[in-house]
Amino acid sequence: MLTLAELQAAVRDTVLGGDATSLSGVVADDRLGHARRLQVYRNNTTILLGEALGANFPVVQALVGEVFFSALAKRFVRLHPPRSPCLFEYGADFAAFIADDPQAATLPYLADVARLDWAVAEVVHAADTQVLDTGALGAIGPSDYGRIAFTPHPALRLIDSDFPIHAIWALHQPGADLDAGVNLDLGGEAVMVTRPGREVLLTVLPSGGVEFTRHLSTGAELGDAFATAQHADETFNPAQILGTLLGLGAFAGFTLTEAFPP
Amino acid sequence: MDHKIPTARDFDAPIPARAGIGLKAQHYQDIKDRLPDHIGWLEVHSENYFGSGGQALAWLDALRQDFSVSLHGVGLSLGSAGPLDAHHLARLKNLASRIEPGQVSEHLSWSTAQGDYLNDLIPLPYTSEALDTFCQHVDHMQDALDRRVLIENPSAYMRYEHSTMPETEFLLAVATRTGCGILLDVNNVFVSAHNLGLDAKAYINTIPGHLVGEIHLGGHFDADVGGEILKIDDHGSKVRPEVWDLYEHTIARFGPKPTLIEWDSDVPDLDVLVSEAARADAVLDLYTMEVSHAHTG
Repeated sequence: MLTLAELQAAVRDTVLGGDATSLSGVVADDRLGHARRLQVYRNNTTILLGEALGANFPVVQALVGEVFFSALAKRFVRLHPPRSPCLFEYGADFAAFIADDPQAATLPYLADVARLDWAVAEVVHAADTQVLDTGALGAIGPSDYGRIAFTPHPALRLIDSDFPIHAIWALHQPGADLDAGVNLDLGGEAVMVTRPGREVLLTVLPSGGVEFTRHLSTGAELGDAFATAQHADETFNPAQILGTLLGLGAFAGFTLTEAFPP
Repeated sequence: MDHKIPTARDFDAPIPARAGIGLKAQHYQDIKDRLPDHIGWLEVHSENYFGSGGQALAWLDALRQDFSVSLHGVGLSLGSAGPLDAHHLARLKNLASRIEPGQVSEHLSWSTAQGDYLNDLIPLPYTSEALDTFCQHVDHMQDALDRRVLIENPSAYMRYEHSTMPETEFLLAVATRTGCGILLDVNNVFVSAHNLGLDAKAYINTIPGHLVGEIHLGGHFDADVGGEILKIDDHGSKVRPEVWDLYEHTIARFGPKPTLIEWDSDVPDLDVLVSEAARADAVLDLYTMEVSHAHTG
């Protein structure tokens, strides 16, 4: 007789696509046969986890269609079943899987769209932390601006791509005109995802803005982030992009780092 | 093993012995705006509200102002070999502290093996080994939440040759050993009885009414599997007439119990759920008269 752990391991293997022979004589045949009965559980797991992925990656699903998506999801589910029972957290490695999947490779931008879908899914459930009140910055003198280090808001994500992922994303939102299409020659887009109020916002960052924002979001001082971004792009306008970041809820707070002795 | 006796705190702000519905995101605004009759309380799948923040939690907080809420877990996998998922239990405790639910429930089943969550409520073999494991996990859950929980009978498409007792005997042993209550899913009894060749009424007649803290009703469909009909529990349609009959038999036997209308796939307009809830309320009303003073006094 199988122990409970052995039985559950065998059912797990069968449900994730293995054959049912190890459960012959364990799962009762009862007219239908054990394999057909186990097939019900295999279908439930495959289909329902595929639907959960579709809910977390709606633009990927819209791009490839339901038939392609369910086949893609089935391959993913069987190799990477969820490690958590919270399905809104399922799919952290789906974008990487897409990047390596030979059939998905026909759409080179699909993995980056998946990263954007995932960023939105994470931001939807991020903590309701207050966004930084910009009034608090008024007390800081201009000579100390360079020492400001922002605390990123828990709902801040940055996705950088060689493809126009924001345009692709926008084309697959409710009410969009699908016939408008997207010119893939437009070049890459860097998208910031935030949630300053109830709604999730997607914002395309200008050239230089993504390096600047990435530095700030990892706790760099404003002075250092500015120097790095300006090095990357001389036309970069730090005051404008900083205003955008503050207005869209990228930060939850700030600290002033230690001043060097004169 | 300790024999636990429920304390008064276990029944703080209980869900009422009326019809309730499963809360779905597409109905948040409609329920808040209309507060329809026949929605006596709400139930949610706990795991959908394990996020750190966002709109789902904000809605649940808002609706909790108007309704008693039952937290119905689908992911703790009480029947899995090995220790319970402490992180998952901590998140449930956190949600329970926030929502102050009228009831907390989980399933007589397992969903996780070797750390992989299979997203289904898979039946256990009814053996003494599984009973020991399951009771330890219910004890752990009740200790962590500091409250009595309800355990729901599963819908089943298979059984195991090495089971040594019927499901009802296993479920009643869990209730006796842990002090937990029972969430009796009447549709699941009907579905399992058909699929496994059991007697649905005999199943219900075996359950002592005082252990039942809540009842579930939902839809199922018939699947043709190799020429045989398997009844598949998908919560995707109206409650079937045969299940309404079994529900009335259940309420006639137990008296009024909080009754949930579950609808989780192809979710219709709120009005359809309200009309199903009204039908459950009509059955509850038939059997409420003689005990009404105990509930309204």
